[in-house]
Amino acid sequence: MPDESQRATDATKWAGLIEAVAKRQDRAAFSTLFEHFAPRVKTFIRRSGASEASADELAQETLLAVWRKAALFDPLSAGASSWIFTIARNLRIDALRREQRGSVHDTSDVDAEFQVDESPQPDSMLASAQSETRVRAALAELSEEQMRVVELSFYEEKAHGEIAQILQIPLGTVKSRLRLAMNRLRNLLGELS
Amino acid sequence: MTIQHHPSDELLTAFAAGTLDQGQHVAIATHLISCSHCRGWMHAMEHVGGSVLAGISPTAMSRDAFTRVETRLNEPAQATKPAVISVSAPLDDVAGLPAFVRHYPAGPWKWIAPRVHLRPIRLPHANTTRIFLLKSGPGTKMLEHTHTGIEMTCVLSGSFAHEGGHFGPGDFDFGDETTDHQVLVDPGEDCICLVAMQGDLRLNGLIGRLVQPFVRM
Repeated sequence: MPDESQRATDATKWAGLIEAVAKRQDRAAFSTLFEHFAPRVKTFIRRSGASEASADELAQETLLAVWRKAALFDPLSAGASSWIFTIARNLRIDALRREQRGSVHDTSDVDAEFQVDESPQPDSMLASAQSETRVRAALAELSEEQMRVVELSFYEEKAHGEIAQILQIPLGTVKSRLRLAMNRLRNLLGELS
Repeated sequence: MTIQHHPSDELLTAFAAGTLDQGQHVAIATHLISCSHCRGWMHAMEHVGGSVLAGISPTAMSRDAFTRVETRLNEPAQATKPAVISVSAPLDDVAGLPAFVRHYPAGPWKWIAPRVHLRPIRLPHANTTRIFLLKSGPGTKMLEHTHTGIEMTCVLSGSFAHEGGHFGPGDFDFGDETTDHQVLVDPGEDCICLVAMQGDLRLNGLIGRLVQPFVRM
């Protein structure tokens, strides 16, 4: 795992590339973003239980959305990885719903379902820019085991049982370890907002 | 009024991770629009998601993946406004709901017990959790009940109390199989809550058993 300063430098680099896409439709910048993020998004989607083919397709869709939505990227409110994570997350939800039979609609606006900042506090944007750096620093303080259970909670629920098997601990232990890791994170982050 | 009762850190993390089912997602979103404290934590967890993504090992993309995306770069983006957002917003008259929920189809209020009314909200996707609004008259002593699954309650207006504390607008209450609460609605005004419920509600006691067949929730 790269050290903390390396991560911070990378974060600035990726944010710069997204801005180049937004301002100049810079294809070289996009290509670099694709090369780095698409294979990571693919792993992320794979671990949520998707097939090889659909993970590949969703990773493509995610990067296409990065191209199309680049102008909406706000480096003050989220870093490149966090922003791309939210895009991948929403596309994954959308894809899962499309697979479901019995859905009333075949399209959905997942983005709208995450718009909960209807009355943002004046200082919340600044706070979140600071918190991204603090979150990275706090995560670096977690033990490897704690980091793994935190990571677990970002995959689909159905995968938890499988990873409990991988870690060779009962599902209930995964949940109690997550509780402890969350407490630790909250202490490390202090009061956020 | 200050919000006293919040969802657990794990629930807010599951929201940020996008792993909640839609009914529970709606319940957490309803709390989040009125609680900047939990929004802060939820956004921090999105940053955690970003860190997870940044630290993950890559999986090779299919050989023509980039070419396929590249040929689509000039395509105009399809309108992202889907059919699900209809012009009508049947729940516009209910304060405290997130904007996206106000567009969901909702039924009329129906009587389920003395001074207690329920208004179902239809989720646009198949789901294991049902959501509905529950309106209880001032001073109502709710029937003793237990749950067969997880129940999340967000107070939209009015207030109530049970053994777990006092709950007013913005407060979030979590119940599961182990919860057995006697709820008392405060005097003065109706208490309206958004409820996301998995499984069935079991009413206890004689009156509960008499009413149960009519509740059909």
